[in-house]
Amino acid sequence: MRTHATAVVFVLAVLFAASFASAQPGPAWPREFPPRPLQPHPVTFPPFEIKKLANGLTVVLVSQNEQPAVSVRLIVRAGAAQDPKGKLGLAMLTATLLDQGAGSRTAQQIADDIDYIGGILSTGAGTDLSFINAIIMKDDYQAGLALMSEVVRRPTFLQAEIERQRQQALSALKVSAEDPESVAGLVIDRLIFGFHPYGLPGSGTTESLQSLTRADFVEFHKRYFVPNNALVAIVGDISAADAMTGIEKYFGDWPAGNLPKFEPIAPPEPTKRVIVIDRPDAVQTEIRVGHLGVARKHDDFETLDQAVKILGGEGANRLQQVLRSQRQLTYGASADLDGYKDSGAIVAETDTQTANTAEALRVIAEEFSRLQRERVNEAELEAAQDYAVGHFPLTIETPDQIATQVLNQLFYELSVEELPKYRDRVLGVSPDDIQRVARFFLRPDRLSVVLVGNADQFVATLKGVGFGEFERIAIDRVDVLSADLKKQ
Amino acid sequence: MRFVVAVVAAAVVWSAGPEAASRPPKFVYQRMQLPNGLTVILNQDRSTPIVNVQLWYHVGSKDEKPGRTGFAHFFEHLMFKGSRNVEPEQHTSIVASVGGQANAYTNEDTTVFWQTVPAHFLPLVLWMEADRMATLRIEQETFVREREVVKEERRMRIENQPYGRLNEIIYEQAFTVHPYRHPVIGSMEDLNAATLADVRDFYHTYYVPSNVTVVLSGDFDVAEATNLVNQYFGRVPKAAKAVPRDIPREPHQAKEKRAVVEEAVPLPAVVVAHHITYDGHPDAYPLHIAAKVLSDGQSSRINQKLVYETGLALTAFGQANLIEHPNLFYAVAIVNPGQSPATVEKALIAEFDRMKAEGVTPRELQRSKNQFARDYILGRETVQQKATHLAHAEVLHSDITTADGEFDIFQNITQADVQRVSKTYFTPESRVVIHIMPKGAASRGAEVVQ
Repeated sequence: MRTHATAVVFVLAVLFAASFASAQPGPAWPREFPPRPLQPHPVTFPPFEIKKLANGLTVVLVSQNEQPAVSVRLIVRAGAAQDPKGKLGLAMLTATLLDQGAGSRTAQQIADDIDYIGGILSTGAGTDLSFINAIIMKDDYQAGLALMSEVVRRPTFLQAEIERQRQQALSALKVSAEDPESVAGLVIDRLIFGFHPYGLPGSGTTESLQSLTRADFVEFHKRYFVPNNALVAIVGDISAADAMTGIEKYFGDWPAGNLPKFEPIAPPEPTKRVIVIDRPDAVQTEIRVGHLGVARKHDDFETLDQAVKILGGEGANRLQQVLRSQRQLTYGASADLDGYKDSGAIVAETDTQTANTAEALRVIAEEFSRLQRERVNEAELEAAQDYAVGHFPLTIETPDQIATQVLNQLFYELSVEELPKYRDRVLGVSPDDIQRVARFFLRPDRLSVVLVGNADQFVATLKGVGFGEFERIAIDRVDVLSADLKKQ
Repeated sequence: MRFVVAVVAAAVVWSAGPEAASRPPKFVYQRMQLPNGLTVILNQDRSTPIVNVQLWYHVGSKDEKPGRTGFAHFFEHLMFKGSRNVEPEQHTSIVASVGGQANAYTNEDTTVFWQTVPAHFLPLVLWMEADRMATLRIEQETFVREREVVKEERRMRIENQPYGRLNEIIYEQAFTVHPYRHPVIGSMEDLNAATLADVRDFYHTYYVPSNVTVVLSGDFDVAEATNLVNQYFGRVPKAAKAVPRDIPREPHQAKEKRAVVEEAVPLPAVVVAHHITYDGHPDAYPLHIAAKVLSDGQSSRINQKLVYETGLALTAFGQANLIEHPNLFYAVAIVNPGQSPATVEKALIAEFDRMKAEGVTPRELQRSKNQFARDYILGRETVQQKATHLAHAEVLHSDITTADGEFDIFQNITQADVQRVSKTYFTPESRVVIHIMPKGAASRGAEVVQ
């Protein structure tokens, strides 16, 4: 049985002992151990309520009256992964168009209405979901909900607005096609997930955006924007009763729909593949290394997440230690386990000066391999867990953070009963558990690699670090929809 | 004492009419000064068992001398390189080992170090911050190594991003002698030229208690926190000399400046900037309102005109950069394919001219006040945000009461105030116009870039 306070004091004492050797002479300043912590304050997950309307809309309520504002977050269970074939960008543009005309209000009226009441309205689409978020001052709760329900339920999809937003999306594509971070992200997703929807660009392509018609938007909205496919959280300075009265009034008569069956296809098995994207004027290389992970609701997700955090997450981050602190090869390095509904990905990322590209890549591949090969040491795992456990109160500070945690559990069909048990779940993972998932899920021999940079300056060095076979593509020739990733 | 404080906080909740902005609760805090000159602000907030500790060193890039740019930011990095009782690179790791977060940032006026930790680790962070304030290790080896990290940071943030140099370009065109002319990250040549003696001198000049404000916001007992602050910071020696403030003034700009520059950008950008006043000047508040009406949100004039109505721009935004010394209000538009920078420039200038001629409508004024109230309220949700507002008022306004007082100043601004400051500052003489063109475009003489 360990207590966290003693674990921390132990770690600090070790660091401190090391410092005597190199301490320099100076003013009369004591050499001493760090102070002991005070008595820990109790951490409890704040109260929340979950309700369901007759039409199937799930409602999460969190009441907190520190600031006179209310946040309303509505999630629809459909995102870029539901884009039909040839219609990439449909979910994204549908979400963008929601507040560009709805009910009797024009786009300009919506913008003015929300700004006038000092609110914020935002809409968007992610991989698995679309969202409409509003923040309103408490006195304007009803006005805010009235506006929000129109935007969610009755978008008009006027042709003029469609053209306007299409042009914006096309211009944005042009900008992101030259942004190395954005290109690296698109290509690594495509390598990891293949032609599974998670591998395809949710922001669309020039061709797909041009092909979208008003009927596509209307159909997508009709099909997915129904209460039995949605969740809403109301958080902030409002009582649960008042919050529900408003939700019943503006969303109670939203008719339920018949949901299409999701038929997930399996992403391909990982294979080693290296893509070099040439950007001759680059001074740095964007590096992405990864492979398939697991879905968010997989039983091993949280254990694998701890393993990946040792590789590149807060509290441990071997990549940062080697690449930045020891070698000064980068400003920052990290690795993440991204868990989606059907699948997931483990992706390490960094950027480095062109000349150091191969060396940084070698280090990342070696760290994937080491994590699988060697049993993680107890102290390192404890440090990662201490971070996670200690950090928990920082993640429940604002009503929005609390609501996000509850919404996530509901969205990924995880139990909300688990939320207050976070500490126990984290501390229940042992080095053996980490080794088990690392051996089972990590594939250091089958890494997907994307390097975006000045290719001439580094490709010759790739062979020396075990990545001599690569495909090279000029940045303006990238096409993630073709098998060889090149424009035809 | 704490009981009385709680009653005061509860009493200020307003009942607001439909047109009036909701009002946030006022800050409750204690302010004190230690004998060594250190200013301390304690803001108790027991809603979550965490505490945020921030140290604002009143030194930024504007304190740098020519040939020594980038020092303030570089020094921010060096503060993580170990002190008498803390090993190099361990500050962040130690904070992370208890679940906390720590980081730092540097801007033109200040260098800020912050950490948020579970409340019971308050003694640890105060102890570590005092340790590096008093006994930072400044060694040749770490100094040389960290310089490489800063160069990488510059490549990542600025050189490798489309439009990454936008701010640098604006400021080097708009300023001639004031150090706001150079970017916070500074010049890599200057950093290469820096000696260990320069670095030590900077530390002993600016990293002294009288140049620091420490703010605690979060779950602590006030008496206990006061004791801890005294215990750890009280022993930091007082500085031998006063902190210098000999910063050159920017001469008045007597006529419009224009420039065309070429950059690796996908689409041209047009900047229209005006020299304005400083943060805290009475004109600053109506200028904020003018900036909101011109450029905050989808309903702002610039967005409506350039993006929505005419499609001249992919995006258009503006900012009144009100900081410690007189700075700029600038509007930027990214020119859509097929549109000309000249047309976009005219459209931007037309919006400034309209603001001078017509001012704002009553609805626009109320809207921007409500937006301001929103930002005010949403900007005070976390202990980190609260500490930041208190420190900003104390350090940059030299008046901590502005952390609350600005709310009423804003709500009392009139249409006449906004029009008056627009006429004062948005003159052709104070204007700076910049066209940022994709490489090759300007020399080909092409105004229309496809």
